[in-house]
Amino acid sequence: MSLSTAAGSGVTPGPARRGRLRRTFDKHWYAWAMVAPTIFVLGALVLYPLVRGILQSFTNLTETNQRAEVCSKTLGGAESCTPNPDRWHWVGLHNYTDLLTGERGHFWLLLENTIVWTLACVLLHYLIGLGLAVLLNRNFRGRSLYRVLLIVPWAVPAFVSAFAWKFLFNPKFGLINSVLVHLGLDPVEWFNHRWTAMFAAVVTNVWLGVPFMMVAILGGLQSIPAELYEAAEMDGTSPWQRFRHVTVPGLRPVSSTVILLGTIWTFNMFPIIYFVTGGQPAGETEILVTGSYRAAFEGLRNYSLAATYGVVILALLVVYAAAYRRVLKSKGEVW
Amino acid sequence: MTRKPRGRDERSPLSSLALHATLVVATTIALFPVVWVLLASLKPQDAIQSTEIHLFDHPTLENYRRVLFETSFPHWFLNSVVVAIFTMVIGISMSATAGYALSRFNFPGKRGVMWLFLITQMFPVAILIVPIYTIMANLGLIDTKASLVIAYCSVAVPFCTWMLRGYFDTIPPELDDAAALDGLGPFKTFWYVVLPLARPGLAVTAFYTFLTAWGEVAYAIAFILSDKNLTLGAGLQQFVPRFNPQWDLLTAGAVLIMLPASLVFYFAQKHLVAGLTAGGTKG
Amino acid sequence: MSTPVVFDAATRLYPGSTVPAVDRLDLEVQPGEFLALVGPSGCGKSTSLRMLAGLEDVSSGSIRIGDRDVTHLRPKDRDIAMVFQNYALYPHLTVGENMGFALKIAGVAKSEISTRVADAARILDLERFLDRKPKALSGGQRQRVAMGRAIVREPQVFLMDEPLSNLDAKLRVSTRTEIASLQRRLGITTVYVTHDQVEAMTMGDRVAVLKDGVLQQVAAPLDLYDRPANVFVAGFIGSPAMNLGTFAVEDGDALVAEARIRLPRATTDALTTGEVVLGFRPESLERVPAGTEGAFAVEVLVVEELGSEAFLYGSLGAKLHNPQLVAKVEPRSVPAKGSVVHFRVDPERLHAFSTTTGEALPTA
Repeated sequence: MSLSTAAGSGVTPGPARRGRLRRTFDKHWYAWAMVAPTIFVLGALVLYPLVRGILQSFTNLTETNQRAEVCSKTLGGAESCTPNPDRWHWVGLHNYTDLLTGERGHFWLLLENTIVWTLACVLLHYLIGLGLAVLLNRNFRGRSLYRVLLIVPWAVPAFVSAFAWKFLFNPKFGLINSVLVHLGLDPVEWFNHRWTAMFAAVVTNVWLGVPFMMVAILGGLQSIPAELYEAAEMDGTSPWQRFRHVTVPGLRPVSSTVILLGTIWTFNMFPIIYFVTGGQPAGETEILVTGSYRAAFEGLRNYSLAATYGVVILALLVVYAAAYRRVLKSKGEVW
Repeated sequence: MTRKPRGRDERSPLSSLALHATLVVATTIALFPVVWVLLASLKPQDAIQSTEIHLFDHPTLENYRRVLFETSFPHWFLNSVVVAIFTMVIGISMSATAGYALSRFNFPGKRGVMWLFLITQMFPVAILIVPIYTIMANLGLIDTKASLVIAYCSVAVPFCTWMLRGYFDTIPPELDDAAALDGLGPFKTFWYVVLPLARPGLAVTAFYTFLTAWGEVAYAIAFILSDKNLTLGAGLQQFVPRFNPQWDLLTAGAVLIMLPASLVFYFAQKHLVAGLTAGGTKG
Repeated sequence: MSTPVVFDAATRLYPGSTVPAVDRLDLEVQPGEFLALVGPSGCGKSTSLRMLAGLEDVSSGSIRIGDRDVTHLRPKDRDIAMVFQNYALYPHLTVGENMGFALKIAGVAKSEISTRVADAARILDLERFLDRKPKALSGGQRQRVAMGRAIVREPQVFLMDEPLSNLDAKLRVSTRTEIASLQRRLGITTVYVTHDQVEAMTMGDRVAVLKDGVLQQVAAPLDLYDRPANVFVAGFIGSPAMNLGTFAVEDGDALVAEARIRLPRATTDALTTGEVVLGFRPESLERVPAGTEGAFAVEVLVVEELGSEAFLYGSLGAKLHNPQLVAKVEPRSVPAKGSVVHFRVDPERLHAFSTTTGEALPTA
């Protein structure tokens, strides 16, 4: 971003440049002032910890070695401190190699789970959201009532819905198993198998996330001009062809953003996995985020390992977003 | 055989039936867990954990009585209200001003800001808790509502900014020009002209920030130490000891949590589609 | 109390672009004058206006209103009012509030605001609508509110950016005269941007023609019509457009199909090549019998009969770069489609331009 706005960009005499800087400031100070509070809070609470996290991922920092000094109280009440002999130190890429080779944690299992989890959730969110939005975009009696009721899950706090579904999936007295038994089927021990447990979590998250998708797509549908449909109808297209050639391209701007955001959010969706499966059985349904949380908070708090997880997650998502953006760009979408 | 020709906007009874059937099924699935929790909350403890399916089973308000009078629930509730409202007000103010600047002005650093927003969405919150805890501890904010408000703002503001920017983009920039000629500076233009026109966008933002703060658990558990300062999400965790959840208290508590959220939802839902449209289409 | 406006080599270069949107614009607007800025889309006319309004930065050069240099002043300090193409009425304010908004911001007393709004509403016949929101008004009424908002300000300069382009054809014609007469009555210097040359010609005291950011000519409407400074102005002003074509010159005669048209001495003297661009307006063509001196044959393609006048579109071989030729003919005795008729150019009303520069060549 260049500061110069005028044509001549060659040698600028001092006073003129100062004038230009001044003009730049005069012109932009209110824009800067408007974003400043946000930048400040995000910088302090996200960017700074992020940078710290990246640095920590190259150390062996844990709960026990974080202090610079070890202090012990003498009998008289006085404190004597000596430098901590086991103080944390830089370990280079050690955490990363440990993580990626499976030396510590089950990175590849978690990654596999994360990918299955994200793909399943985003795909179902999008398809169900699209289907409902297309239905709701028609004109019929009672549509606003349906719309309100269908958005309700959005208003339910994530952990409440996690518990509601955990309640429904409860192997002993959950409604789902009760229904299965009534239908003459065997009850399922939902949380004893990796994929059934994952299934329960996906169902919960889909239930929770569809309303957002539906509303966003509904908005996108309403922004497609009706003339396009009329023109397509004059061209003799079938409803399916209209959907294919008018609706889908018309939704592309909305779709591209909600899918990108949806992927990022689902990838990092903490409460659902944490509360619904809790990693059961035996950590087999853990995803990267919950895995990193356990590393950081359960047992001996291993800050450096948690940070390494965080950096890996961030890296995966940055690569994903950049690739996504490139694909969109190659298709002529500006994002 | 002659049949009354069908108008363009009418559909055959069969497809009408299919439409309503699909939507009824979807609505049922959407509402069912909520309704089931509501029904369960009215059952006595042993009936909740029964394998028999009963809509009602000795309905009683006992669970609510215990939640309201035998736990610190009212405290938590009040704390949550305060935190959510402050998050809402501060979050909206921050994202609206930032969104306006991003929508209207081409200023050096704009691309950087957009990337910052995206990156903040990517770094897992779970990992941020520890460093943010350290920051809050240094500021002496641990065990205060302020720490939660600040943390929730950092979670909600990027998306809200992005959404409001999209909404502001739909407000014709000529209005800003007209306002400039009418003698308004950028801040007054924002206040007198743009904000009054952005109500749907603001409603969605309000809804979103409120929900972010209302049911949050992880930060609340980490930052709040004393029982009387807990918020709802964190407080209810007390009913979930590792292996034996107290479903009776939990279901009643969940219903009570959902009430204010539905209230906010009810006021915002009219604007949700319009407000989110703009955000969605103008990425 | 009227104020002149001066553009002094005013230039607007968008960041990242190498071609200025407005290139060294020199323009003086007389006190109380109605100046129409006209040109095809993208010619920089709106940018010029927005530079004057302060909504667009001036990269170099300066702009003065009266004796104040306003080049870097903020819009609100320039004492101007603007009517926007889409009117830019505040949707959340009533008509009256819209009109009085600037005064309210300026801290004018409430009673004063309401009298001034009432005065403007009376002038524009908006009194019944003062309490309505813009949404409840028709296009024409909104246009008047936008005018009213400008009038209430009692500014030194009015700026209007295609204020009629959102109206239907009939309303546009009547509003055109309303605005022109209102401006004359108030005597406030006005700069009016339009892409419609008819609007420019009928409303402006003078008309400035822009193309690609460069000012082509400023003149009173008739001067512009009769003495276009270059090929662009000649082709842009007038409807139907002037016939323009490039012809070879031989012994001081231009060869137009089978006819030889004698060029004035001054014209041939100024020629640098063996060709000339000739222009003649549809009404400068005279229908003559075949064989008349200087006459050329035209095959009739279409005749537009408008009742009071008729225009003949015909082809003169492939020699005109616009292969068609337009002639104004007697509306009550039009030739049949497909027939061949003969025309002669009125030598007094012949325009000649250089093939290299496009500039007008002297004809006398």
